[in-house]
Amino acid sequence: MESSEILKQVNKIFIDVLDNETIVLSNETTANDVEDWDSLTHIQLVVAIEKHFQMHFTSSEIRNWKNIGEMCVTISKRL
Amino acid sequence: MFLKGTKFQQAYVVDESVYSGFISLFRDENPLHTNEMFARAKGFKSRVMHGNILNGFISHFVGECLPLKNVIIHSQGISYSRPVYLNDTLELYVEVEDFFESVQTIEFKFFFENQNRIKIAKGKLSIGLI
Repeated sequence: MESSEILKQVNKIFIDVLDNETIVLSNETTANDVEDWDSLTHIQLVVAIEKHFQMHFTSSEIRNWKNIGEMCVTISKRL
Repeated sequence: MFLKGTKFQQAYVVDESVYSGFISLFRDENPLHTNEMFARAKGFKSRVMHGNILNGFISHFVGECLPLKNVIIHSQGISYSRPVYLNDTLELYVEVEDFFESVQTIEFKFFFENQNRIKIAKGKLSIGLI
């Protein structure tokens, strides 16, 4: 899957989970850039993304991501 | 401990103390729950117990029956298929559906059966390890 397609699908998950149609993610996006992306919604987002792409991340992987782009790279490698 | 497919089971009774305690706490005195004649007129054999009593049992299960105390409920959803009556004995069956190590979250599916082995409710539950 193209990285742009992964980003698009992740964007849709963010919109659904955070119930915010205005969210537009880029590879550089971090939690500081998205309203309501806090410690609780973070869990919902990760679970939704793992389910959607049918894969599991590890806690160390998540800790090392600096932005959305790095998460998409991990997804891309697993697909 | 929380491998997919791990199962748990717990018995509950909707006795007078549970029923009256629920009403005392939450003030839901709708006649379906409190008026025998009203409930029968609506096609039920007796007063119908509050569906959210079962959510209380789920709370008890999570807080007291799992082999860990460091837990918090993230979400729970339940759908009801049959009424529960006073003094029904319920069996709660819970099964691990998935464990998300990344965010220390466990998802369960569950259902309740009554003393006649009839499924009366089912749902999903997500908890976090804190």
